[in-house]
Amino acid sequence: MPPKQGKLDTFFGKKGDIQSNGQPVTAPVRRKRRIIESSEDENDTENVRVKNKRVKLEKKKAVEEESKAPQVEKVSKNDSAEDLPTNSEDVDTEEITKKEESTIKAVAVLLASNNVSASVDIDWKAGESVLYAALVNAYEKIEATSKRLEIQEIMTTFFLRILEKSPSNLLEVIYLCINRICPEFEGLELGIGEASLMKAIAMSTGRKVQAIRKEYSETGDLGLVAKASKKAQSTLFTPKPMTVSSVFKAFRKIALTSGADSIERKIQSIAALMSSCRSGEEAKYLIRSLEGKLRIGLAEATVLVSLAQAIVMNDSEYKTMSKNDKTAKLAEAPSVIKAVYSELPSYDIIVPVLLKHGVDGLREHCKLTPGIPCKPMLAHPTKSITEVLDRVEGHKFTCEYKYDGERGQIHLLEDGTIKIFSRNLEDNSQKFPDIVKNVTRFIKEGTKSFVLDCEVVAWDKEKKSILPFQVLTTRKRKDVKHEDIKVTVCVFGFDILYYNGEPLLQKSLEARRDILFSVFNEIEGEFAFVCYKNLNNVEDIQTFLDESVKGSCEGLMIKILDGTESSYEPSKRSRNWLKLKKDYLSGVGDSLDLVVIGAYYGRGKRTGVYGGFLLACYDPDTEQYQTITKTSTGLSDQNLEDFYKHFNGQVIDGPKRYYNFDEKTKPDVWFEPSVVWEVLAADLSISPVYKAAVGTCDLSKGISLRFPRFIRIREDKKPEDATTSDMVAEMYQRQFNHNES
Amino acid sequence: MFEARLSQGSVLKKVLEAVKELVTDANFDCSETGISLQAMDNSHVALVSVLLKADGFDPYTCDRNIPLGVNLGSLNKILKCAGNEDTITLKVDDTGDTLNLLFESQNNDRFGEYELKLMDIDQEHLGIPETEYDAIVVLSSGEFQRICRDLSGISESVSISVTKEGVRFQAKGEVGTGNITLRPSSSVDKGSESVSIKLTSPVDLTFSLKYLSNFTKAAPLSDKVTLCMATNTPLLVEYNMEECALVRYYLAPKIEDEE
Repeated sequence: MPPKQGKLDTFFGKKGDIQSNGQPVTAPVRRKRRIIESSEDENDTENVRVKNKRVKLEKKKAVEEESKAPQVEKVSKNDSAEDLPTNSEDVDTEEITKKEESTIKAVAVLLASNNVSASVDIDWKAGESVLYAALVNAYEKIEATSKRLEIQEIMTTFFLRILEKSPSNLLEVIYLCINRICPEFEGLELGIGEASLMKAIAMSTGRKVQAIRKEYSETGDLGLVAKASKKAQSTLFTPKPMTVSSVFKAFRKIALTSGADSIERKIQSIAALMSSCRSGEEAKYLIRSLEGKLRIGLAEATVLVSLAQAIVMNDSEYKTMSKNDKTAKLAEAPSVIKAVYSELPSYDIIVPVLLKHGVDGLREHCKLTPGIPCKPMLAHPTKSITEVLDRVEGHKFTCEYKYDGERGQIHLLEDGTIKIFSRNLEDNSQKFPDIVKNVTRFIKEGTKSFVLDCEVVAWDKEKKSILPFQVLTTRKRKDVKHEDIKVTVCVFGFDILYYNGEPLLQKSLEARRDILFSVFNEIEGEFAFVCYKNLNNVEDIQTFLDESVKGSCEGLMIKILDGTESSYEPSKRSRNWLKLKKDYLSGVGDSLDLVVIGAYYGRGKRTGVYGGFLLACYDPDTEQYQTITKTSTGLSDQNLEDFYKHFNGQVIDGPKRYYNFDEKTKPDVWFEPSVVWEVLAADLSISPVYKAAVGTCDLSKGISLRFPRFIRIREDKKPEDATTSDMVAEMYQRQFNHNES
Repeated sequence: MFEARLSQGSVLKKVLEAVKELVTDANFDCSETGISLQAMDNSHVALVSVLLKADGFDPYTCDRNIPLGVNLGSLNKILKCAGNEDTITLKVDDTGDTLNLLFESQNNDRFGEYELKLMDIDQEHLGIPETEYDAIVVLSSGEFQRICRDLSGISESVSISVTKEGVRFQAKGEVGTGNITLRPSSSVDKGSESVSIKLTSPVDLTFSLKYLSNFTKAAPLSDKVTLCMATNTPLLVEYNMEECALVRYYLAPKIEDEE
């Protein structure tokens, strides 16, 4: 470890600087006292050796005390606790929800029994802005544990302190905790590039960028590099303490910086922020936030739950409630906020309402609003028709075609504005100016506002038929001009969530469908209702499924039609909606056998092993390995470790001359061709960066896999026995033939 | 009303060279004693303090204290227009909006007049504590510049250790290590090349070479540079041009990992 840069701050005093004890500093004679004082101030940069020793003693004490009071922690136990479980998509969502509920209840019981520990945290004055150090303190405690229950308690306690002292900071704290700077749908993100961050760290700590890059490749975490760099350099003066407000405002400013030299100006602002840090820990989380990855195992769901419980506990009536009432209230509040948030995903609106009206008043004041996208309801995958029938038995249900397009949510606002949002709440109005233009034509008169859930599908105007998803992806994403559009799209509407000032989420699907039909007109090639049938036996469903596949669809959606279970549940992958895809049915879905030719270094929980692998198919004609995809899913921790060991022996200096790849997909390390993996993918599509079967299906582009997933190692195959380019091309073509047959 | 005439204009040029790498905007504070400037770099790691003594000017008039807020880059552009042998006169009228610079050639046959717009710079004044240093090393400013340049190629930081035997500069880097030891010379006749060490207790401190290299830009001001060190205290690097200018840099030390 190279020595680290100190700052002058901590040595000199500002004239008129007010110290923690409230006394103005009278420089210059008091230098020695200052250093002694600062050694007792745990907020200060640890810059003095004598002081370091003291801190270590404190650490020891803290550990000893821990057994008595587990929540009391002064120093994070483990700086490199990167292995915390983050949300894994592989886990059944249903299970997560169940776990979550039980955790919520457990915490609720805990909190209701007044078992909140009085922790000796970094404090701030009531009415003033929350110190960033206090938030960092909470981050550290969270990172040090992997128990959801503990994390939730830490957050709830922290929120409660904010509510008591500085409620006006609550919104900013929430945004910092979930590492965002505005509602998701506004699309403003931090995500500063590594290179810029490294420059800023170098600038603010008197180091060289190369040295920082090297440390980064060793640790895989810029936050830790920033922390080490910060701690190593003392400063002349202790900067003013940062507050959550100042940090949040700086983040927004950085994200909004644009135009000439914007990168340079961003770096300057980041370096200034770094210089304002008082401790290495502040620098660590600051850099991680700027990078866009906080990685402390704090899920947004946990933040929501803690927020809800803190709001409840802060209510004046809460103290007078019976223990049972408290528990009930605490257990109920999170689900209320979650439901409201999924309808109206904007903390900008929800938090002020919570502060004013509490959890009880939330539903009344926050409702689905045109202009703000709500998280779409998702369907649960099923593997067979019998599985479907098991679920929906005894209910009235309906089957709809599952079109192979892009999910869309079209909003018409009272003022006539039309917006289209994607499944991820991105504003796609720029991408689909043609739809925006068409909307007024396919609504009936008297429609003032609505929110429509639909599928946007590529449409062949001449043949009057649906085109596959691959065609849709060739559309430009930004600044689409109406006259330049080559791929026309048709909107297939299947649900309506809001109509003329009234949210419809609670209504049954049958009722919503009636409204849907009464509001829209079908126009060929522009708007259609999804094709549906209300069926109830296996044979009919099978026939309908076959028809859907013939009609170029992915399969069927099966939905409960009436009763409370048929309400629209935003953001939920609900079992009241089931999807039956052709690929899920057994016998379909070919796997590919591909060669591993390179890998990307792992980040976060995959630090120290390879996080992703570059795969290639084999072209016997040219004796080339052609890149086809990069995969990181389907790999267990054991796999990752084994593969890291195996491939370490296969690393080569550069790509073989017979590797056909694009610079954009260049891996961090190249391997000898040695192993064949069986990989399953959802689809094949034309790609500008991957080279499989290049020149056969498209003049200059190759083919790549969508959603590739590692299945197993093909021990029985040599690299030359991998799937050939011709086979890949054939599989790609077959997708189209399938649709035409 | 402020007016100062400097017969050796090059001094001002050299002072600016010594400061402009570290800070972009700064106040020149004019008072009875002279013109002073104090500024810290953005990272709070280094500080530069300059004093142009009133005695070095002839004449020097300053009837009240005035800060001259200057963008150092702009001032540098104007000073480049002055010849090395020129006499420079600085003038500020009572409005205090602009700084007038007058460059007179040695033969009194060329006069350059320039105006620089001044700005309001909100600057914190920092109290620099008097320190009793454990080690004071005086060496040739050219030698110090060379050491910093040589070691910069090896590492991003240098440890300076002073004992009775001498002063040792040590850099450890990726490629290898570099060590330079200077022994105090007893013979006086070696003149500017000699090294003198005043020591109350040995010190060993580590500093960022990026900043040190920056400081050596002041070498043209003086043949000698003084390094003052004490454990857990910022390094003081001083270039003293006895009659007219004093440039001091402070640099916060690096902290060695204890593990």
